[in-house]
Parts: sequence; structure tokens; C-alpha cells
Amino acid sequence: MTDDKDVLRDVWFGRIPTCFTLYQDEITEREAEPYYLLLPRISYLTLVTDKVKKHFQKVMRQEEVSEIWFEYEGTPLKWHYPIGLLFDLHASNTALPWSITVHFKNFPEKDLLHCHSKDVIEAHFMACIKEADALKHKSQVINEMQKKDHKQLWMGLQNDKFEQFWAINRKLMEYPPEDNGFRYIPFRIYQATTERPFIQKLFRPIASGGQLHTLGDLIKDVCPSAINPEDGEQKTQVMIHGIEPMLETPIQWLSEHMSYPDNFLHISIIPRPTD
Amino acid sequence: VSCSMAGEEGFFLEEKRFKQYCEDFVKHSQQIGDGWEWRTSKDLGDGYLSKTHFQVRNRHIPPDLEEKNNDNTEPTLFAHVEEPLDDSQAAGGGSTEEVVRYEYHVLYSSSYQVPVLYFRACFLDGRPLTLDEIWRSVHASYQARLQEGPWDTITQQEHPILGQPFFVLHPCRTTEFISAVLAGSQEHHRHTNYIILWLSTVGPVVGLNLPLSYAKLAPEQSTNPDSA
Repeated sequence: MTDDKDVLRDVWFGRIPTCFTLYQDEITEREAEPYYLLLPRISYLTLVTDKVKKHFQKVMRQEEVSEIWFEYEGTPLKWHYPIGLLFDLHASNTALPWSITVHFKNFPEKDLLHCHSKDVIEAHFMACIKEADALKHKSQVINEMQKKDHKQLWMGLQNDKFEQFWAINRKLMEYPPEDNGFRYIPFRIYQATTERPFIQKLFRPIASGGQLHTLGDLIKDVCPSAINPEDGEQKTQVMIHGIEPMLETPIQWLSEHMSYPDNFLHISIIPRPTD
Repeated sequence: VSCSMAGEEGFFLEEKRFKQYCEDFVKHSQQIGDGWEWRTSKDLGDGYLSKTHFQVRNRHIPPDLEEKNNDNTEPTLFAHVEEPLDDSQAAGGGSTEEVVRYEYHVLYSSSYQVPVLYFRACFLDGRPLTLDEIWRSVHASYQARLQEGPWDTITQQEHPILGQPFFVLHPCRTTEFISAVLAGSQEHHRHTNYIILWLSTVGPVVGLNLPLSYAKLAPEQSTNPDSA
């Protein structure tokens, strides 16, 4: 259906206007101007910030520059989470542009994974895709693909090529005609308030009686405190790609249309703004 | 080239069984003072095995590198000194002993239905070991394996319960070799402790050894997981 395909494009081309500012304690030879960039929601910070790095390195001495890392209001940002997830989780109800602070020193070893090269991002991305397929298809589809197909998924993401990416990814979204969906849904639910970084469980898209499970069913099963009963006051928002899908949406449909390129549904549960 | 997945064959490890095997494992560990404990997470009730221990590392510093900074030295195996200290001293070099604190966690992966080994290491001053230092400290006989394939590789990942960076031994091929071992009479191996089997195989790659007495955990001594 045309409408469904539009969703795929809308997800892929989502952008977040961001302002990068150098941390004030970094040592510079002259003043560092902020750098503005539209960040792709579906990508990863260390994959799309080469220009940011170059911009700030221009005003710094070589010996003051070590591995780059990013922080928002004191929270180190995990580069291995998709950008859209980071924004939804930490800053979705704040004014744009998103203000991120750039650091080149004192890498927070206890909080962030290292990212010394693009290979690390690729390995992480592919590991997520493989795990998603383990859940959806017992790894059968991903294992049947050739190495060049795997490479095409990564190149599509890296070069922002929607068609190139989906030429291969569509195979990961198929299922046998006798089934009505995937074996299990690849998802992770994030809440900024917990020590646990995310919740991930086995969850079937189809109930034993054949009905389609909904987003609401998933939340109730995995994170029941997030959905209040019908006493009106919904204290939290269930957010994917910056929107709140209706809780009645079939989770199978969401998995096929609103997963990130890593084939996971990354869902944020955040406090509802009170104004 | 890709890793095969036990979708079709048996030898999945269900989460309930995982917990039961871990319980038996911890009981034996307590009997022999091996230091393992089970940690339960407060929010969801899932958990993991945990053990911390200290290892002494001998670092040989070749005389010509003595002036340079420590990153250039070649660390030797943990607790196994390949060359006698005397030789390096005779050649004009020195050696220092360093204590490394190792923390090992065994978690359950519901996606792959296998246990996964997470670990991290730091010096006593708190400085964590880099991935490079970890790789170099892997026993020589496993190094070739590590370089060969992505399946047995060690990468840095986020601990799914603690949210902190750990090193992880890739679980991809676990089911493959476990199946190979458990193939044959399923009856006979029905109560073999999967955790002991698995950990005794993957642990040594990253400096974790299980005392032989774990092998004596006979079926009649371990609880029948099916009755759990």
C-alpha cells in the first residue's frame, strides 16, 4: 500500500536539528564557534559527526585531542544507540535545536563504549541486525544472505541510500505465508529513570488464538507500570521516532514499518509534559 | 559465511533451565570456595552469575623499551610466566608485577537462548584494560582462533542489566559446539550441567578456569530442572 511505503520513507529521512558546542574546559587556541547539523534519526552519532570533529579540531592543538564523545545536560550520550532514540529519550520535549556538548578529553570509561573506527559501528550495527533476525526467523534469512548483501545494508545506512538499503532489508521483513508474522518481535524499551538500560523479552506478534498483538499488549506485558488504567491520567508517553503510535497498532505492523535500520523497535517511555 | 543458529536442532537452553543450572553451579562453588554468586536484579527478577578475582600479570620490559611508556610492552600470559624472569633480567631488562582485577558475569541471552560471558578488567588504580590489552592477554593457543573468525571474537558491549561497558565473548557459535558435545544419547546427557560444560570451554579463552571438581557434579547431585 502506498501509505505504508510512505512510512518507511518518513522514518528513514527523519532529521533532528542539532547545535554542537565544545565543552568549555577544552583547551583551544581560539574561540570555538558552535556547529549546526541536521542529524539523521536512524543513524549513529559517531557515523555522522566527522564534520563536527573537524570543525572543533581546527581550533585545538593536536595533543589536546583524544577520542571524541558527546554529552547532553551532563549525560554522556551512547553512540551505539540510534540518534532518534537518544533524542526521544533525553530531549524530546525540549526546544529545538538539540544542544549537544562535544568533548575530546576524559572519556567516561564507565559509561560509554569506545568507537575507534567506523568498523566498530559496522560491527555493532550488523550484530543488532543478526540478533533481530535470530528473533524473527531463527537467523534463517540473514544466514542465507551473502556477505555482499550484509555489506549493502551497512553501505545503505552509511551513505543514506534508502533504496539500496531496502533492496536487501525487505527480505528481513518477510515471513512464511503460513505464518501471520515473525516468530518474535525485536524490540527494546528504554526509560531514562532506570539503572537497567533497556528491557528486552521474547514477545510473539500473534496470540495463540490468532489475534494480532498490539503495542498496548507489548507495553502491558513488559512494562505494565507505564500504562495507567482508564482513570484518565496518562502520565507517560510511549514514543517511537518522535511520535506516539496508537496503542491499538498491531506490533507486527510496527515491526515491519517503524523499526530502525538495525531491525529493532527502539521504544522510549518518557514522562508526559504537564503543560 | 555466517554463524549457524540452533533453530532446528535441540540444545536450546531455556531460561528456567539456565537459572536452575546456575543455582547448582553456585552451590558447588560455595562448597569449594570458588567465589561465584548469583545476583538478582531488583526490578525484573532476572539475574546473572558473578565472580571477581585478582590475577597477577608479569610484564617483561625489554631493555630498549624501558624508557618508553608502558603501552609498548608485551604482556605475557596471566599467571603463567613463559620465560624465566632471570633471562630477561640477565639481558638487562626488568619485569614488573601488576595486579589485574577481573570481573566475570554469566548472563542469559533470550534472543539466542544461550548463556553469554561478559567480563571486564582493571588495574588496581581503576584504569580499565583496553580491548587491545585484553586481546593480547588471551592465551597464545586461542589467539589464532580469535583472529580467524568473528564468532569467537571479543568485543566491547553494553551490559544489558548494569548498562556499563563490558567485554563479551560472541555467543554466535556457542550452540554449535555445545550441540557437538551433547550429541549422542540425549538421555545420558539430559542432566549435564550446561553451564559447567559451556563455561569450562569458553572461560579459559579469557583467563577464567574452572577447578576440575565441577565435572564431578553428577546428575543425581544436581536438581532435575524439569521438576522446577
